[in-house]
Amino acid sequence: MTQVLIPTSLPELWSALREQPSAHLYAGGTDLLVKRRAGLLDPAILIHLGRIDALRGVTADDDGLRLGAGCTHRELLEDAQVRAVLPVLTQALQTLGSPPIRAMGTLGGNLCTASPAGDTLPPLYVLDAEVELWSAGGERRLLLRDFILGPGRTALQSGEILAAVRVRRAPHGSVQHFEKVGLRNALACSLVSLAALVQTNPAGRVKHAAFAWGSVGPTVIRVPEVERHLIGQPLSLSVLSEAAVLARRAVAPIDDLRADADYRRQVAGNLLLRLAETGSAPER
Amino acid sequence: MTERSARPELGPPQSPMLEIGASVPRADAWAKVIGAEHYAIDHYPLGLLWAGARRAGLAHARLRGVAIEAARALPGVVAVLTAADVPGTNRQGIVHKDQPVLVEDHVRHWGDPVALVLAEDRETLRRALALVEPDLEPLPGVFDIAAALRPDAPTLHPGGNVLLEAEISTGDTASAWDVCAAIVEGTFDLPFQDHGFLETQNGVAQVEPDGILTLTVSTQAPFRDRFEIAHALGLDPLRIRVISPYLGGAFGGKDGATVQCLLALAALHVGGRPVKMVWEREECMIAGYKRHAARLCYRLGALTNGTLHALDCQLYFDTGAYAHLGGEVMELGLEHAGGPYRIAHTRMRGWAVYTNNPIGGAMRGFGVCQASFGFERMLDRLAAALGRDRLDLRRQNALRRGDRNAAGVTLVHSTGLAACLETLSRHPLWLERDRWPDQAPPLKRRGVGVAAVFNAMGYGRGLPDAAIAKIALTPDGRFRVDSAVSDMGQGNASAFAQIAGQILCQRADAIELVQPDTARALPSGSSSAGRTTYSYGNALVRACEALRAKLLHRASLLLMVDEPSGLALLPGRVRHLPTGRDLPLARLAAMLPETDRVSIEQFVMPVSQEVPDTGKAFVIGFPHVLFAYAAHLAYVEIDTLTGKLEVCRYLAVTDGGRVLNPRNFDQQIQGAVAQGIGYALCEELRLQEGRILNPDFARYLLPTSLDVPDIASLAVATVEDTGPFGMKGIGEVGINGPLPAIASAVEAALGRCPSQSPLEPRRLVAEVAAPSASDDAPR
Ligand SMILES: Cc1cc2nc3c(=O)[nH]c(=O)nc-3n(C[C@H](O)[C@H](O)[C@H](O)COP(=O)(O)OP(=O)(O)OC[C@H]3O[C@@H](n4cnc5c(N)ncnc54)[C@H](O)[C@@H]3O)c2cc1C
Repeated sequence: MTQVLIPTSLPELWSALREQPSAHLYAGGTDLLVKRRAGLLDPAILIHLGRIDALRGVTADDDGLRLGAGCTHRELLEDAQVRAVLPVLTQALQTLGSPPIRAMGTLGGNLCTASPAGDTLPPLYVLDAEVELWSAGGERRLLLRDFILGPGRTALQSGEILAAVRVRRAPHGSVQHFEKVGLRNALACSLVSLAALVQTNPAGRVKHAAFAWGSVGPTVIRVPEVERHLIGQPLSLSVLSEAAVLARRAVAPIDDLRADADYRRQVAGNLLLRLAETGSAPER
Repeated sequence: MTERSARPELGPPQSPMLEIGASVPRADAWAKVIGAEHYAIDHYPLGLLWAGARRAGLAHARLRGVAIEAARALPGVVAVLTAADVPGTNRQGIVHKDQPVLVEDHVRHWGDPVALVLAEDRETLRRALALVEPDLEPLPGVFDIAAALRPDAPTLHPGGNVLLEAEISTGDTASAWDVCAAIVEGTFDLPFQDHGFLETQNGVAQVEPDGILTLTVSTQAPFRDRFEIAHALGLDPLRIRVISPYLGGAFGGKDGATVQCLLALAALHVGGRPVKMVWEREECMIAGYKRHAARLCYRLGALTNGTLHALDCQLYFDTGAYAHLGGEVMELGLEHAGGPYRIAHTRMRGWAVYTNNPIGGAMRGFGVCQASFGFERMLDRLAAALGRDRLDLRRQNALRRGDRNAAGVTLVHSTGLAACLETLSRHPLWLERDRWPDQAPPLKRRGVGVAAVFNAMGYGRGLPDAAIAKIALTPDGRFRVDSAVSDMGQGNASAFAQIAGQILCQRADAIELVQPDTARALPSGSSSAGRTTYSYGNALVRACEALRAKLLHRASLLLMVDEPSGLALLPGRVRHLPTGRDLPLARLAAMLPETDRVSIEQFVMPVSQEVPDTGKAFVIGFPHVLFAYAAHLAYVEIDTLTGKLEVCRYLAVTDGGRVLNPRNFDQQIQGAVAQGIGYALCEELRLQEGRILNPDFARYLLPTSLDVPDIASLAVATVEDTGPFGMKGIGEVGINGPLPAIASAVEAALGRCPSQSPLEPRRLVAEVAAPSASDDAPR
């Protein structure tokens, strides 16, 4: 039998964590329960984070948005500010799981699972998102890409939780784009995904570019060579094809049941070509 | 919560008049929607024990022994049984009895059961199963068809690795090729497919105080189950009672023993306590039956004018570790290998071979689904080679009533393929087909594909396809149908209610449906082969007509009229029309003894009267005479960057004879097409040395609602003279179309199509990358 503690405030959470240091946290349980059924973990005590208001909600200021780690994917999808400021995240959330999974699963859970296939990660990587980590002793902030250490590994320390994600507004007129390749249109783990944030000047030449690939390495991958290659160039098929070559060189995919490494590598490059279409019509 | 109280009270739908041809709601809809329906899996008798099988976990091995002491010592474990505890033959199988209930010494696939554990609760069962240790000596395995046929291959069964080899031939293929103007060839590979039903294999069993062994099982064949259990365990089949509630899906996967023999064995060892067994999803995938993987080698030739002239093909089916219905599946594949076309000269050879893969068995489309990929790919290639329109070539060669089919059988029953193709050819989706590729967005390619398919109905010659229907007037003046063929979701029970309502002129609430129970109903075969509504329905028509005649006659006595001619059955009553006098049915029932209120009638499906001089290897099942036909059309879009295939629009035109219930008809077609789209796009058992790498729904991918487009279903309602109200079975034909229609569309889009299914992104992206051949793309 598993014991489940349900703190309803931060003080209750900190005391629960102090008294049960071996307890395992969970929010929506959509990753945890799958692992538990598969016998990968069998925690005697669980602490549920879903009733702590301080972990919920989206707030905005001049710099950007602060997304509570306890927000469900559906809440984020329905949030007007997220839709307006972070279309790349919205696009990714639309591909995540299915309506029931989006209703249960949380942003915090997706990040703490630290899967290279986690769909919210590539968008947050291109946005240079920061995470807020809280513990009984205080707060610290890390860049998301420093928070994620490897598959299933994060910089979370014992007694620490992920409280929120902070994202700055992208420069006005930037193109935000996300694409996930799965074997079906819902409930599909990504074979490869690409998030892009590209800013062009009025002449259509790239001023700034950020790309992050999912599922083609142990963590989400950014490829500075690709980003540099595009500076000053138009988003044409030929320029993007050159960048695709660089991308294929940089990614480090593996074979698994869903796809082989060659497919992932090829498509990781191919996905850049989509920007020749979407890139010309920036989303607002 | 104020919101909720504002809603109108929900309640069952009004009881409609049951009429043939109307889309009356399904009889099972309400109970299923509100969760009140009790499937087998919902049965939890008091004091039950849990049974579970320990699976071998190796695909091929000698079983030297099973260490059961540790499991037996676990508190809460009631018994641990091995092959030594099995009385009887310890062999199950529908036709060939080659599958042990518990393995004695030869493990032939990963999921072979080596021990049966009985425990007080599920958790203890799980722990005990892990403590059972089979002592296995690995043997070299056979993991594909080619390996199985090698002369030096390890042999899996005493008779060798070929379960059945057969040939169906007509005309003279030796000389026919010389006159062909175009000859096309191809080799095609298809994977194992899982049924993907929601309710996994399960049941409860108990030896009753009177010694009768009673099982409530999720099964397609309750009557046959008794004999399988009896044979395997050395029991008297008539002391076994099987109850088959509505099934949460089956598609062929619950035809034949799944939990039955294990449950019965368990029940024999626990002194009358009930035993429950439920396979978890992974076990369902590992131990359950599958659609056979297949390899097809085709050669098809046509004359200059497009007339199909010669066919030579070899069909290989991987039946896995045991026969199940492997020979019969191969028979159907072979009988359909020429497609729904006239071909004068055919030589069709087939092999069903044993391997150490999961067990191939019955699944919707039963061999035909595989063959359809082969013959329809050939038709497309032939059209390209002859420069002909794909639909036109099919129409030219389509079987018509009176023709001999490619197996040499004269079609004397309804044959609506030409009408299906005609309907498709006039449909806007076909007429506007050129607009589809023209409007492809950047980086996408689009194509339109067609396929013509068919599917035999019934068991075929040699195994009487019979049903015995039973209907009774109840004391309260309603009618009870004792269905004898399971309803696995296809809606046959609802059709029975509709048939009874039509003939007896009753509303839905006057018809009570009892699901199969061998103690109440009469043997009527399995729920399979597109025969269920046809065969039982025919028997029910007769039973209802006889009952109507009898009731009117009895009513004439009660109403004191000279003869029953002025009497009519109306909802709940009999009316004497000349005088307007009514006799409530409850009153009539009160007058009659129970034996007089029952009507029982039998029907046997017609069989071919021809004796084709071929197919001799098939003792049963060849040939068939009744077929459903269909023409399918698919619009697809392929992403050139990812190889992702999207089925955007779909049309299925079906000849299933007269339509008893248009909504149920469309649902059957749509369900079959959706399952066929899964077969075409993503469903594939991934195997490594006989082990399933994706035994769950996270990795074995079924299409979701977002992967299946709206499916337009049109009926070409021919009349099948021998069918109840002119119908034929359509449970299977719809699944045969999607793979070939989608492949045809892919070829139209890319200029070529992989010859291996499913048509996954990794396969298509390779085709996209190859140099364009769009000039010879089909039109
Ligand atoms: C059917 C199905 C489909 C799925 N499809 C997708 C998909 O398409 N894309 C995708 O990216 N994911 C998918 N997932 C995975 C999962 O739904 C997501 O990763 C989800 O965001 C996890 O959130 P959760 O709240 O349910 O996590 P939980 O299971 O509650 O937690 C996951 C892990 O994170 C830790 N954790 C959670 N919140 C915190 C916190 N605030 N602080 C510290 N640690 C925390 C937990 O301790 C646990 O180790 C799918 C899962 C299922 C079951």
